[in-house]
Amino acid sequence: MRGIEKDLNEFEAVGVRPVAISVDSPEESRDLSKKAGYTYTFLSDPGAKVTREYHLLHVAGGPEKQDISRPAEFLVDSSGTVRWVNFTEDIRVRARAEEMIAAARTLP
Amino acid sequence: MLLAVLSNALFFIGVPGQRVLPWLILLLSVVALALVIAGLKRVFSQSQIYRGKVSAVILAVLSLLLFGFGLLASYSGRNIPAAPGAPQVGQKAPEFSLSDSNGKPVSLSQLLSAPLANASHPKGVLLVFYRGYW
Repeated sequence: MRGIEKDLNEFEAVGVRPVAISVDSPEESRDLSKKAGYTYTFLSDPGAKVTREYHLLHVAGGPEKQDISRPAEFLVDSSGTVRWVNFTEDIRVRARAEEMIAAARTLP
Repeated sequence: MLLAVLSNALFFIGVPGQRVLPWLILLLSVVALALVIAGLKRVFSQSQIYRGKVSAVILAVLSLLLFGFGLLASYSGRNIPAAPGAPQVGQKAPEFSLSDSNGKPVSLSQLLSAPLANASHPKGVLLVFYRGYW
């Protein structure tokens, strides 16, 4: 997520709006953004409702066995269709901003 | 062993070829473990040359602990569910409405249509689901 912030201009240049989603509350997201200097949109999914609809639920994956989201990235085009996805198998390995920008360049 | 632990830091630097890092770390750990065992053997078989059996054993135990922590980190890092039902390329992303960090509701269709900061029309949205609890 730091990589996205760093390359925010690049994302804008290719016409893509990055949006981060987690089960954290708006207050927690605000604190995280403030601390880490994130300026893009952070959305709050309390109770993991949308996470469940996207089939990304990681049951008891949180530090206190809360239900959270597994890491995943989706590039959605303006018609709402998924154009690129990434599901890591290791929480230490995430999609890199360059990869995502390259995928964004292929959008019509 | 220290090298194996320290190589975890590479994740944060974001070097290319990140995907191989977990395996590189495991490889370094196994090499380090082999060196520790070889060292221990030497200390005990040629004790007239190599002194310090006690410190050797202490260091070996410490190394083993580090190895254990490494394995645990590796296991918990990979212990995430697969996502067979998640939207795939070509499928529609389910519509949603969620609160942003100011508590304002935002929907996917709004994200796809509202102009970007440079006033251009967005070509798409990158949804990044993350674990939270930072």
